[in-house]
Amino acid sequence: MQPVKWLVEFVDVRLGLKDIYDSELRGYLLPRNVNVWYTLGAVLMALFTLQIITGILLLMFYVPDSEKAFASIQYIMNDVPFGWLFRMLHAIGANVIMIALLMHMLSVLFMASYKGRREFTWLTGFIILNLTMGLCLTGYLLPWSQLSFWATTVATDAAGAIPVVGDYLVEFLRGGPTVGNQTLGRFFALHVVGMPLVLLGLMGAHLFCVKRRGISNPPFGPDYRVAEELPFFEHEKHPNGIPFFPNYFVKDAAVICFFIAFLLAIIFYAPGMFFPESAFQRADPFLTPPHIKPEWYFLWAYQTLKIFPSEIIGLGIQGAFMTFLALLPFIDRGAERRPAKRPLFVTCYVLGILLFVAISIWGHYS
Amino acid sequence: MTTQVPPPQRRKFLFTMIGGLGALLAAASAWPVFRFLSPVAARGGGEQVAIPRSEVVSGKAHFFEYRGKPAVALQPDPGKFIALSAVCTHLGCVVAWKEQAGEFQCPCHGGRFSAEGQVLGGPPPKPLEPLAVVLDGDQLKIG
Amino acid sequence: MSRSICCLFILMIAAWWTMPAALLAADTVCIECHGGQEGRLGAPVAQWRTSIHAANGISCNDCHGGDPTDYAMAMSPERGFIGVPEYAAVPDFCGRCHVGVAEEYKAGAHGQAIDRGAAQCVVCHGNHAVQRASLDLINEKDCSRCHSYERAALIRMSLTETDTMINKVGHDLDRLYRLGFSVDEMQDRLFNQRNLFHRTFHGVNVDEVRQKNASVQGELGKINMEVAAIDSTLGERKLWGSVMIALFILTGVVFLLVRKAYEEDEQG
Ligand code: HEM
Ligand code: FES
Repeated sequence: MQPVKWLVEFVDVRLGLKDIYDSELRGYLLPRNVNVWYTLGAVLMALFTLQIITGILLLMFYVPDSEKAFASIQYIMNDVPFGWLFRMLHAIGANVIMIALLMHMLSVLFMASYKGRREFTWLTGFIILNLTMGLCLTGYLLPWSQLSFWATTVATDAAGAIPVVGDYLVEFLRGGPTVGNQTLGRFFALHVVGMPLVLLGLMGAHLFCVKRRGISNPPFGPDYRVAEELPFFEHEKHPNGIPFFPNYFVKDAAVICFFIAFLLAIIFYAPGMFFPESAFQRADPFLTPPHIKPEWYFLWAYQTLKIFPSEIIGLGIQGAFMTFLALLPFIDRGAERRPAKRPLFVTCYVLGILLFVAISIWGHYS
Repeated sequence: MTTQVPPPQRRKFLFTMIGGLGALLAAASAWPVFRFLSPVAARGGGEQVAIPRSEVVSGKAHFFEYRGKPAVALQPDPGKFIALSAVCTHLGCVVAWKEQAGEFQCPCHGGRFSAEGQVLGGPPPKPLEPLAVVLDGDQLKIG
Repeated sequence: MSRSICCLFILMIAAWWTMPAALLAADTVCIECHGGQEGRLGAPVAQWRTSIHAANGISCNDCHGGDPTDYAMAMSPERGFIGVPEYAAVPDFCGRCHVGVAEEYKAGAHGQAIDRGAAQCVVCHGNHAVQRASLDLINEKDCSRCHSYERAALIRMSLTETDTMINKVGHDLDRLYRLGFSVDEMQDRLFNQRNLFHRTFHGVNVDEVRQKNASVQGELGKINMEVAAIDSTLGERKLWGSVMIALFILTGVVFLLVRKAYEEDEQG
């Protein structure tokens, strides 16, 4: 092990990495009663990394041209060695990310971790959520299947309900009067470069906010105290806490392993779960297939648009809800974070989730 | 029951295990990536290429693809056919046929080859690689 | 023969493309008038609605000609109106689309004896309410309207196995298609074999049917082999996938055990 030690010394003398290790990893202390929900952020980072790797691999064979896109995906699925694996990892991985993202958001909501001057953490997270949905939407078009084409047609068409600018906005999103090669071009550029770049930046900002302010104390147990707010910046420390690395990191690693196992389980045991028949037909602008549905995480939005007599009301309600969610830390100002002491919040929380599930199921079967 | 072994020792053992599992997982993940990136077999790999005899005109050069790489066929004397790899033996540019001079010249660093592929000048270290040609009716079979 | 299959193929594709026309079909002037009539003149409309033709957008004028957009000229021979074909003209009437089958039929015993009242298309298939054909059309009751059932039974027996095979291969290809495999080429071959099979028995010659049947089964067998090869790849993938899943779960569990060891230290 002599050469390894020598190399470590060589680097450390020049860059002082041990210092960083001591202060930021080993010396980064988490609350003693930190729970498993706090691993979801790390899970998301791992899943995004996987998405980037598989995405780069797919890019080597994918052709962003409406004449060739579908065939290139078929080629990847059938002819490139292990192409099917990377394609499935990427497509189903996006769904698993959405699951993890919702779990992460719901857990920080439940623990009210957005409180205690964590508005920026919440806001960056919220933008990340929307951007990820944007990535899913733009990525959905790329295979140029019937599903891609018509889901994108319907999704962009919804913008038409906005008064005055609606019609122009629809064309602007599509880059033309209908979904076509121009749409594929812009969606492709956004999906593989634009949005991932912004997302990486936002993830950095999100992490910075989390670390700078200090991770929150889980609002459970007899020792929990409502922290008093001082009139100046303060890093929330946990002097008696446990080191993030390696003590808590091993738990992050465990949950990451389970998530990847879950992703693989879908790929090998239920590969058709997220692929309706229209996903295997080449896009045909002259033939709308029956039963076009958006992906499961957009079903709620799709169904609210249908429930209301006019689309503009539906859009308005969606907008209002999303704005409310984005501004939640500014609206919900109380210092109390313990769910047991916030019956109204918990009731709304549970009803909200039930409503989301119910509307989605309704959307799926309607 | 595990409490018999003190935690630090237990961790040491478990980390060794993780090291092993990690190596296994890494290898099993790297293999598909390696296969995914492996070069595709050259088109028509290993097979003969057939060219109509009429394409190879005396004094002119006919370029074609042979096992994924550029090659050239000539008819230096009537009824005599030769085929060569068109890849310059210096640094891999594709040689050009100069009809007037009756020789190949490499556009990259000025290498010169005879119609038979012998080096006439410039940096190329060895002749152009010759390919076997058989005349079969009105077809030239190469390779 | 292969040319007529080609024709049939093109026609099928054309039929497919005109699918949305099924919706428009309701608007033809034929249906507007006849839909309201009673008895012999009105009944075909209701029957047709239940048919495989209607489901595929084949409307009155596709068989009977005429002009479906013009009340006055709808039934004018100038616009190609045919009306009711003679008994012996029916094979040509249907054969405009079902080319291969008609060809085989005419060469066979039924076709040769049509002038003496042998069965033609609609005797077995019905006319306006025509359904997707199935082997049940060959049955004792119907065949013995004209002759003994023996040979028909032999033909049916030899066809049943092929019919099952065709269905099975069809399902298999569909399943693979839904997993993202390119099965177009195999599907085309199946389509061809199914056409061959369907036309074959219209010649109503036991030996010939058996012989062609064997060749169709041979081709189906080849497709089956390819399906089996893909299935075995799938099985292999699943096996390795399962190994990876197990490894990830195991690694996760070991990480949790490490965490537990740390927890003991943290409490101690
Ligand atoms: C790609 C997406 C995301 C990544 C990679 C990410 C990453 C992280 C990480 C690593 C942490 C610290 C540990 C933890 O609690 O997990 C964290 C905390 C947090 N995240 Fe996210 N996050 C993402 C999305 C979101 C979203 C969508 C929201 C809410 C809309 C959100 C809100 C928060 C909040 C409020 C905290 C603070 C938790 C605390 O201090 O206790 N995050 N995030
Ligand atoms: S590559 Fe041909 S002369 Fe250098």
